[in-house]
Amino acid sequence: MSYAGKSIKRLYDDKFVTGRSTYVDDIKVNSLYAGFVRSNVPHGRIKKVNKEDALKIRGVVAVLTGEEINQLIKEGIGPWTTYVDPRPWKIPLWRFAQGETKYNGEPIAMVLAQDKYTARDAVEAVSVDLEPLDAVIDLQEAKKDKILVHKELGTNYGFVGNFNAGDADKALASSDRRVEVEISNERLIPSPMEPRGIVSHYDGNLTIWYSTQIPHFARAEFSRIFGIPESKIRVIMPDVGGGFGSKAHILPEELAVIAASIRLGRAVRWTATRTEEMMATNSRHNVFKGEIGFKSDGTLTAIKGTLDVELGAYLTYTEGIQPTIIPPMIPGPYKVRDLMIKSQAIYTNTIPITMYRGASRPEATFIIERIMSTVADELKMDDVEVRMRNLIREDQIPYTNPFGLKYDSGDYQTLLKEGVKVLEYHEMKRWASQERAKGRKVGVGLAYYLEICGFGPYEFAETRINRDGSVIVSIGGTPHGQGTETAIAQLVADELQIPIERIKVTWGDSDTVPIGLGTYGSRTLATAGSAAISSSKQVLDKMRRVAARVMNADVEEIDYRNGEFIHKKEGRKVSWDVIAREAYGGKEPGLSASVVLEGDVTFPYGVHMAIVEVDDYGIARVIEYRAYDDIGRVINPALAEGQIHGGGTQAVGQALYELATINENGQLAVTYADYYVPTAVEAPKFKSYFAEKYHPSAYLTKSKGVGEAALIVGPAAIIRALEDATGKKLNKTPALPEDILQ
Amino acid sequence: MKVKVNGVEYEDEVEPRTLLVDFLRDNLNLTGTKIGCDTTTCGACTVLVNGRSVKSCTMLAIQANGKEILTIEGLSSDSKLNPIQQAFKDNFALQCGYCTAGMIVQAHFILSHERDLSEEKVRDMIHGNICRCTGYQNIVNAILDASRRMRA
Repeated sequence: MSYAGKSIKRLYDDKFVTGRSTYVDDIKVNSLYAGFVRSNVPHGRIKKVNKEDALKIRGVVAVLTGEEINQLIKEGIGPWTTYVDPRPWKIPLWRFAQGETKYNGEPIAMVLAQDKYTARDAVEAVSVDLEPLDAVIDLQEAKKDKILVHKELGTNYGFVGNFNAGDADKALASSDRRVEVEISNERLIPSPMEPRGIVSHYDGNLTIWYSTQIPHFARAEFSRIFGIPESKIRVIMPDVGGGFGSKAHILPEELAVIAASIRLGRAVRWTATRTEEMMATNSRHNVFKGEIGFKSDGTLTAIKGTLDVELGAYLTYTEGIQPTIIPPMIPGPYKVRDLMIKSQAIYTNTIPITMYRGASRPEATFIIERIMSTVADELKMDDVEVRMRNLIREDQIPYTNPFGLKYDSGDYQTLLKEGVKVLEYHEMKRWASQERAKGRKVGVGLAYYLEICGFGPYEFAETRINRDGSVIVSIGGTPHGQGTETAIAQLVADELQIPIERIKVTWGDSDTVPIGLGTYGSRTLATAGSAAISSSKQVLDKMRRVAARVMNADVEEIDYRNGEFIHKKEGRKVSWDVIAREAYGGKEPGLSASVVLEGDVTFPYGVHMAIVEVDDYGIARVIEYRAYDDIGRVINPALAEGQIHGGGTQAVGQALYELATINENGQLAVTYADYYVPTAVEAPKFKSYFAEKYHPSAYLTKSKGVGEAALIVGPAAIIRALEDATGKKLNKTPALPEDILQ
Repeated sequence: MKVKVNGVEYEDEVEPRTLLVDFLRDNLNLTGTKIGCDTTTCGACTVLVNGRSVKSCTMLAIQANGKEILTIEGLSSDSKLNPIQQAFKDNFALQCGYCTAGMIVQAHFILSHERDLSEEKVRDMIHGNICRCTGYQNIVNAILDASRRMRA
């Protein structure tokens, strides 16, 4: 029996379909409820927080200000140093607002009450004397450094880096054609369905239930920030209702909840309302402006330009990744080697920017795919032909890109050739052009991507076989809806050759899982899955030794197949269950093995296609979305397809509907009713295919990662389809009706 | 107030402003119903009140006085999945699971009112329930699948 490669049903769905799941807000702990008084100006001096009226309300326990909270918050929120080198950065101290507020919506006081209704009453009853200060909301305005978000930094530039390879000026000068381009992504909101939440309990030790993607990193950060040893902090990740990168962050509200639980000696909880969730995590917003050079045959020769990345008021845990990963990913799967990209990250008095599904690769892909389509348009060449001319050839792989990223495996040209057939690109293009002749505004567009995932530097897994022969696999990856735990159980079931029903996978508790990096960047199956294979191999070796002892044989004489240990020569057999029991009875007791597996990045790639229709009001809909991907070995096709469907629908949102409008007062000017997350009506039909002749990764799973692919490439494919439908040039997301009708 | 939830009668005192969703979750400990938004937009809190599908985050608990409510917990007994729940599981119609309870209750409402379901009709009737993970295709498939199972 083998499980890998099959669409095995998800192991833990029963609790979700029956309503017995447990997210943070479902946890019953005798606790106080936190509420936050927020700034209504983008930049202001906090003169006084008037608590008296709030404290008169029955059930209100405390009102805390930044001065009080920050006595416990010893260090500020910092960047994710595993992936971001903080040295070239200018980083302001980010704790709970004290003295000044830097963005509209920033928490500036905290109330604690016996129930959440009273907490809301108390929030209303606190008044704050705020003296407005000059603020800078607009990214381009902030670049002038006239108004500073953080005076002490002396500039709004948090990071400036030059990503130079080859000689872009020389390549531009010798190009047949040169064209200026401006390509941008507007601000959007990740919007997991479960708003963020935290419960903190302090009894000398801290126990924190937290809707997070990174429980171990969170523990380390809380330890650093509060000056409490990691051994005294336990972070538990219950069921998590989606993250998309937004829950790999630490926010001042969350630190305040922990601080209050320490100060008051009471458990404290906070679950964000949707409005608070929308104000907590804004993502993207960056602009690339520059010039490209190419030959008359369509070969791209040079890219030169400036990438502006907005930071908002503070540097969040992950936002440092964007300005440092977008530029080296811009060459993508193409041969271009002469690039000069100035990347700069800029503070503004707006909601701090966090990462969102794909984090940097969607931006890099949108830039390079828009460039490819620009070359095609300028030369009146076919989109496929232009890409084929520029794609790295199979005999060049492994390929080191001009910025030093080493692409591991793949055959980019063959995938495009096959993909065009599988997706019926040319047929659909013909169909669209016939329909347009009849007056319908339909269009077809494709885009290619190469992404980076499988992020190390390591991941943990332990395989433990219990006395009754059942198996518990603990992993350092922390799935929050992807179903990766089922795929990992499939791999372990194959490795141990036992029924999958005997395997339970656990994760997300910093006390029971020794270490782990969490789930983000499509890394979990490759990294935690490979560690689980490795730990399973080790524990099976131990079982073989026990079997040899039981059978009075040498280990070399013992074979193992499908739950039975067999004496090779004599044919005697002992069952899995007997050996498990024996292992807890005799010498060398116990059956567990844990592995910390070193990992490296992988590079999945593929081609996606969108079919769109635009109505008379300029409202666009993606009718159908098709994908052809090489993600290495596919462990569970249904789970992988699910990621394409989900990412593809988010791509529809990013490309057409989702815009986190910030008004001139720095205020988020949308609610969930007019921030248009796609519903079933706007979501397209999907067809998802995986390249059968996969090009494996170096991981034991041979898989590469798929979680973000469709949101990485989807916006480029959809925008291209819109151009086909309307004949307009569109170089930003979202493309709104007014952009389409103009 | 008096209310019958999933066949069980409850009598309780509530503040007039208590929302139905908070009453179900906090007073009755029925946490299967989720709160996803504060604008009646997402549908995670969908329950049936006297057989009608309602977003319980914008109904006062007191408005349910004397009425019958069905929540996700009332759709299965003895942990035996009902055909809709089984269809969601079989069709990979959930990922993070947060919207699932509301989706399934709404699917139950749709299937008890509509016999001739097309894909377009299902999409239209669940468009008040947002799912951020699955892309809806598998949810639509699950509801159509459940419809076939329930007719068989």
